[in-house]
Amino acid sequence: MSAAALAAPARAAAKAASGASVARRNRDGYLFLSPWLIGFFCLTGGPILASLYFSFTDFSLFNEPAWVGLENYKRLIFDDPRYRTALGVTLAYVVTSVPLKLAFALAVALLLNRNISGVGLYRAIYYLPSLLGGSVAVAVMWRKIFAYDGVVNDMLLWFGIDGPSWISNPDYALSTIVALAVWQFGSPAVIFLAGLKQIPPELYDAADIDGAGRFATFRTVTLPLLTPIIFFNLVMQMISAFQAFTPSFIISNGTGGPDDSTLFYTLYLYEEGFSHFRMGYASAMAWALVGIIATATAFTFISSRYWVHYGDR
Amino acid sequence: MNLNRTRRQILKVTALAALAAPALVRAQTAQRIRYAGFVQSEGELKQLLAALNRYKAINPGVDIVPEFTNFSSFIDKLATETSGGNAPDMFSCNVDIVDEYARRGVLRPLTSYTPNPIDLSDYVQGAVKAATVNGQLFAFPNDAIGPALVCRADSFKKAGVAQPNQMWTWEQLAKISVDLTKANGPRFWGMEDSGSNYIPCDLFMRGMGKTLFTPDRKIGFQSADLAEWFAYWDRLRKSGGVPPADIQASVNGSDITTFLVTHGRAAMTAALTDKFAGIQTMVTNSELFLQMLPNGFDGGTMKQNHYVYAGNSTGLSAKSPHVDRMVDVVRYLHRDHEGVKLRYLGSGMIPCSKATRDMLVATGNPVDAKIVAYIGLLQQQEAAPRSPGVVGMSNMLRRMNEAVAFGRLKPQDAAAQFIEEAEKRLKA
Repeated sequence: MSAAALAAPARAAAKAASGASVARRNRDGYLFLSPWLIGFFCLTGGPILASLYFSFTDFSLFNEPAWVGLENYKRLIFDDPRYRTALGVTLAYVVTSVPLKLAFALAVALLLNRNISGVGLYRAIYYLPSLLGGSVAVAVMWRKIFAYDGVVNDMLLWFGIDGPSWISNPDYALSTIVALAVWQFGSPAVIFLAGLKQIPPELYDAADIDGAGRFATFRTVTLPLLTPIIFFNLVMQMISAFQAFTPSFIISNGTGGPDDSTLFYTLYLYEEGFSHFRMGYASAMAWALVGIIATATAFTFISSRYWVHYGDR
Repeated sequence: MNLNRTRRQILKVTALAALAAPALVRAQTAQRIRYAGFVQSEGELKQLLAALNRYKAINPGVDIVPEFTNFSSFIDKLATETSGGNAPDMFSCNVDIVDEYARRGVLRPLTSYTPNPIDLSDYVQGAVKAATVNGQLFAFPNDAIGPALVCRADSFKKAGVAQPNQMWTWEQLAKISVDLTKANGPRFWGMEDSGSNYIPCDLFMRGMGKTLFTPDRKIGFQSADLAEWFAYWDRLRKSGGVPPADIQASVNGSDITTFLVTHGRAAMTAALTDKFAGIQTMVTNSELFLQMLPNGFDGGTMKQNHYVYAGNSTGLSAKSPHVDRMVDVVRYLHRDHEGVKLRYLGSGMIPCSKATRDMLVATGNPVDAKIVAYIGLLQQQEAAPRSPGVVGMSNMLRRMNEAVAFGRLKPQDAAAQFIEEAEKRLKA
C-alpha cells in the first residue's frame, strides 16, 4: 500500500475527530447560551411574532383577534391624523435632541479629557444624570422645575418676568423635553471620552509642530478620528430617541398634551393599546416604528461611507 | 464525614422543601383574593387598607392582596392584566368600566347575591341602575356621588360674592367667575376651566334639554351644542374668568394635588363630591362648600339636572373562584358597623346605602355631613343618571378643548371632530 493510500484514512479520521470536536465545542457553547436562548425564544421571540400577527387583526384585548389583513396599516397611512401628529412630534424630537445631545456630550468629553485634578470625580458627576435621567423621578422633578409656579419662573420673577408654563404650553413643551434629553448626555460623553483617549498623541504633536491652532487641530485631527465614535453614538441615540416614552408620559400626565404637542409615537401607541383597547392597531404602529427606525438606521449607515473615517482605510 | 454525601443530602432536602413550599403556602392561606381599585386620596387608601386588614384579622385563612392606585393608572393596569388572563379577583368600577367589562364578559353577574346577602333596596337607585347591564347587576355600588362645584369660602368672602342660588344659570357662573378673578388679585381665577370635563358638559347639554350620550349608546346632542360648550369656555378664558390655556393644561383632572383650588389660585372647580374631603384636607386656610353647577340658561327653563350615582362600585371577575368570600368582603365594607367606620368615616366617600349613610352622619364628622347634605339636596329632585359614553371620552374632550384654548381649532371644528371620533368609537 502506498504512503498516500495510508494517509487518506488518517486524514479522514482526523477530519472526523476535528468535526466531532467542533460539534462538542458548539454544543458547549449553546449549552452556556441556553438561558439567554430560552429567554429570547420564549419571552421575547414569541411576543414579537404574536405582535406581528396581531397587527393584521382587530384585537380589543378581551375578544379573540379577528383577521383584517392590511386594514390597520391602511388606517395608519391614510386615516389617522393623530398618528401623523405623533410621527411629526417624534421626528422633531429626534432631529433636535440627538444632535444637541451629541454636541453637548462631545463638548463635555473634551473638557473631561484634559489633565486636571479630580477629573475622575467630575466624570462621575457628569455621568449621574444619565443614570437618573430616564427615570420617573427625574421627569417629575422636571415638571416641578418648568411648571408655571416652578423654579425657573420663580427665578424669572426676580427680574420681573412672568414666565409661561413651560411644560403646558404647546410652544415650549417639546423643547422642555428636548432639554431633559440633552441633560442625559453622560452615556455618549463617556463613549466620546474613550474615543478621545484612543487618538495617538503623536498626531497632536505633529499638528503642534505644523503650527495648527486649537480649532484647526480639533477640525483636522480630533473630529475625523472621532467619526466612528460619533457614528456609533448617533445610531444608538437615534434609536433610543425614536422610542422615548417616559418623559412625555410623566410631564404630560400621560396625555401627550398640551394640544398633542408632546404626543410621542410610543405614547400614542400606548394610548391606542391600553386606553382604547385597540391592540391590533397598536401592534401595527409598533411594526411601523420598527420599519421607520430600520430605514433611518440604514440611511445613517449608507451616509457613513461619506463622513466616517476609519484609520485602516 | 463524607462531605459529598452531606452536600447531596442538603440538596435533596432543599429540593423537597422547594417543591412542598407552594403546597404549604396554599394550605395556610385557603383563599387568596386580589382586590384592585382606584382611590381619590391618600387618606381614603389608608382607611380602605385598615378595613381590609381588619377583615383578614377576623377571618383567618383569607388573604386579601390590595392593588390600589389613582384612576387613570388603574384603568390601564386593569386592561393589561385582564387581557393577559390575570384580572384581579375583585376590582373597582365606574359607570363606563361596568358597561365595558360587563359587555366583554369580564365581570360576573351578581343579581343572585341580592337581596341576600347584599340588600340594595336602600341604595341610591341611580347607582344600582348604572351597575345593571341588560337586566343583570354587575357591580355593588360602594358610594354615592354627584357633580358639584367645590368652592373656597375665603375667595367668595373677599370678593363680597354670596353663595349663588342652587338654581342658577351658566351666564351667572360666567359673571361670578370674572368678579371673583377681579377681586382676588393676580395669578388667581374665579373658576377652573372645565371645558375638558365631560360631566359639566353633560349638565350643560341637559340645560338645553339634551344629554352627552343616550341610554342606547348614541350621541345625544347636535354639533352646534358642543360648539357652544367650547365657545363658552373660550369666552370665559378671554374675559379672565378662567385661567389661560397653559395654566389650565398643567392641571390633571384626576389628581386633586394639581387643582388650582387646592393651591389657592382658583375659587371654584367642577368635581365630583368624592374629591371634596381630599381637597379640604389640603386646603387648610379656607373652608370649602359644595354648590350645584348651573341648572339652565338665562331665559330658559330651569330644572335640577344633577344626579346621584356611584363613582366607585365593586365588580367581581367572572373567572375568580372565591365568589362567596368576595361578596362577604363587600358585605363587611358596606353593612358591618365596624367595616363601615373603618372604610368610610372621614374619607370623603359617602356610602351608597341610606342606612349606612345615616350611621356615618351620626358619628359627627363635619366634612362627611356636608357631603351627605349635598347628596340629599340632589336627591330631592334627582335627574336621571348619565349614560355611559365611549372609551377615552375624557381624553377626547380634553384634546378638543385644548385645541380651542390654544387657538388651533375653532369651537365648531372641535365639536365636529369630537363627534366624528365618538361615532367611530361607538361603532367599534
